[in-house]
Amino acid sequence: MKTLFADRSFAALIALCAVAAIVIALSGGTSMLSPYMVNAIGQLATFAILAVSLDLIWGYLGILSLGHGLFFAIGGYVAAMHLLKHSYEITGIVPDFMQFMGWQEFPLYWAGLSNAPYALLLALGVTAFVAFVFGYVSFRSKVGGVYFAIISQALVYVAMLLMFRNDTGFGGNNGMTGFSLVFGWPAGQPGTLVGMAVVSIIVLIAVLIGCRLLVTSRTGRMMVAARDDEVRLRSLGYGTLWLKLAIWCLSAVIAAIAGILYVPQVGIINPRVLSPELSLEIAVWVAVGGRGYLTGAVIGALAVNALKFWLSAAAPEVWPFILSGLVVLIVLVFPNGLLDLAGLKWKPRLLASLGGAK
Amino acid sequence: MFMIRPLILGWLFAMAFAAGASAQDLGRADLVARLCGNAAATGDAGSRILAGAGQPDAAELPWMETVISALLDRRLKCAADPAQSVVEGDGAVRSAVTLEPASVPDLSKVPVLNLRSRAILELAQSALRLRIGATPTIRRQALAALGRKAASVPVEVFEQAAAGESDAGLKAEIESTAQISALNSPDISKRISAVERLASTPNRRVQTQIAALQADPAYTSDETFRLTVDAALARVGQGILIGDVLSTLYNGLSFASILFMAAIGLSVIFGLMGVINLAQGELIMIGAYVTWLTQEALKSIAPGIADYYLLIAVVPAFLVTAGIGVLLEAAILRHLYKRPLMSLLATWAISLFLINLVRVTFGTQNLQFLTPFYITGGVPVVGDFIVTWNRLFAIAFAAITLALTWLVVNRTGLGLNIRAVTQNRDMAGCIGIPTRKIDMMAFGLGSGLAGLAGLSLSPIYNVNPQMGGNFIIDSFMVVVLGGVGTIGGTLVAALGVGQINVLIEPLWGAVAAKVIVLFLIIAFLQWRPEGLFTAKGRRR
Repeated sequence: MKTLFADRSFAALIALCAVAAIVIALSGGTSMLSPYMVNAIGQLATFAILAVSLDLIWGYLGILSLGHGLFFAIGGYVAAMHLLKHSYEITGIVPDFMQFMGWQEFPLYWAGLSNAPYALLLALGVTAFVAFVFGYVSFRSKVGGVYFAIISQALVYVAMLLMFRNDTGFGGNNGMTGFSLVFGWPAGQPGTLVGMAVVSIIVLIAVLIGCRLLVTSRTGRMMVAARDDEVRLRSLGYGTLWLKLAIWCLSAVIAAIAGILYVPQVGIINPRVLSPELSLEIAVWVAVGGRGYLTGAVIGALAVNALKFWLSAAAPEVWPFILSGLVVLIVLVFPNGLLDLAGLKWKPRLLASLGGAK
Repeated sequence: MFMIRPLILGWLFAMAFAAGASAQDLGRADLVARLCGNAAATGDAGSRILAGAGQPDAAELPWMETVISALLDRRLKCAADPAQSVVEGDGAVRSAVTLEPASVPDLSKVPVLNLRSRAILELAQSALRLRIGATPTIRRQALAALGRKAASVPVEVFEQAAAGESDAGLKAEIESTAQISALNSPDISKRISAVERLASTPNRRVQTQIAALQADPAYTSDETFRLTVDAALARVGQGILIGDVLSTLYNGLSFASILFMAAIGLSVIFGLMGVINLAQGELIMIGAYVTWLTQEALKSIAPGIADYYLLIAVVPAFLVTAGIGVLLEAAILRHLYKRPLMSLLATWAISLFLINLVRVTFGTQNLQFLTPFYITGGVPVVGDFIVTWNRLFAIAFAAITLALTWLVVNRTGLGLNIRAVTQNRDMAGCIGIPTRKIDMMAFGLGSGLAGLAGLSLSPIYNVNPQMGGNFIIDSFMVVVLGGVGTIGGTLVAALGVGQINVLIEPLWGAVAAKVIVLFLIIAFLQWRPEGLFTAKGRRR
């Protein structure tokens, strides 16, 4: 416990999340806190989880993935499939995409998805499998750095093209929507929204604590060492392949969890979540917040998305300019993100000596 | 309709050859009377005119053309006496027989054409226009109309038209169409020679025409004819196969040239600085926009040479994008030297900025480009393979760019310095090469090449603010596959990716092609993680 909360900002963040969860649980959906706000907070929490997942692999292991949207989407798609199948079995309403394609029956791979534990297992299993295969072939041949980033981006792009096809049984370009039930509760009702938001925040807290334990452990030291000088670590006799592979798969699974929580809250999923832009934005959240700090990833995700929620409604034309300006500013002036800006002296020595992470 | 068409064709055929008699056998008044008559009489008149269009004597043809066009456009007003019938049009009323000014008779009617007679009259009209059309364009259109039903047009029409044709290209086309007509000539030796000559220009149209002869009575009765037809079919089939293979290769080559243009700049920059420029696609877009602006400027300043905008825009497209590249390097990227992953984010931000800047300035719609004469059309080579000028332009442009880039990198002082810094930055700096300046110049060169890519693809692809995203991932794959900073690697990788894409696309679709290419590249990197060609020297 001592190491876990030794970092005061981390302790503060956990406390803040816990308070948010309690406040929403008690007063969510009432006049104090509108269902819209509750829903927005719930979505932000899933983005924060997504940011933490990328920070784990980029901030602590130095591997930038520009394809993390893929894992987020796998979680989201399986969740959407579960919700549709479940709603169908209760209400008998045939999903839109099947009517559109003129299909009478669900495709074979939808079998059993109305069972929530199986769907959860499938989502995480598929994510871990995809991450493992892609990670293994990349790390084994020592593909890293910019190469890895570009190939992961190509992966998510190709996945997007595939999902845009209507005959794949995943809803095509319209995606999947029209969930009438969310895990047994009526969708869109204040109570359901509050429940989902609280669950999301609790998962965020759990992910944060888990990651914190990981990065402060022996494995965490090895991760930072692999980030800073992988060749030296290897020549000291530590294998890095399985370390990188394990953390990569863990990161992918956390991203999938974020997707699973995200879809019931927004009520739709379509191939846009697989666009390379979204995956790049995740990296921007982490960079803005400060990579290599779990707190930073959360703050970055919250700050950028809050700004986006606000500006894309208030001044949609200006938002892309602000975003690009923000990124250039962060990259050039505050290499450690908002934490630099706050003047907080948490720059690890290793980072400082290199002038920022690779 | 599907039932009617063969009927009409068969009927046309019967009329054209069974009647045999030509319009010149009748007097003008008699012909007008038939045109004004019932459906059978009109059809008979039409087939006579069609036969008449094949007569050497062209004196009566302009008159026939006037009357038949008037009939088709419902401008022929018939009276009981043919001499009283008139043709309206061009603001005048003229006698249908003499074409002298006349007045509309009291009791006149406009003949109603049925489907059959209209078809044969249109055929006759086209035949007349092929003979006496005032401009090559009219004659070419007439030939196209005849070509669809060439089998029911008397071969003499084409022979006479070819003899009188002044345009050499059109003459060749007429002669080729004449062969199809000759296939149905009553003279068997003419038919055999026509089959043989047709088979020398194999394509799918010829294949259909010759295959139809297998159902002909002569095919079973005449041994020589049957052998000729069979040999011709085999020859045509082979020609079509060769044509299809060449056509696939050609499409692959043109796609590869676009990929190469998009990737070469990326490759130079990546090799030198280890920076992947995510804004490369947007520099391509800006190159295309500069090309468009050049075209618009030429249109208003010097409309006479506006067609040459693709050549003139080479300089501004290169300079503008190179300038943007130099600016970016100096302002942003040079501070991100040891942080290549951060430079990814920075260049992405730049691409976002450029897309939105262009969107706000020009809007999101596709730009309209002129299609200059030198990239219109193409030359049929063999089978259905046509060398289209617009794709050849892109290929030639890429080839010239390749040659120039190679010259710059391998034969100039700048290129020597670029290669030195690519191989070993520290050592190059030690022996006095201004590495920062070289970076800036190379970034400008790479960006300028992206601008040229934008120029070369502007006649083929849609140009809009989002276009950059379509190329960027493909060109990254080319760079990753080809290896860093080598022109040869980029070329080979572009050719490979282009050909694989074109080969897979017809089988499983464009998306599958992209998926398979990606997996092939990932699999390939297992074998050679550094890409096909690696610049010799120590990697950082």
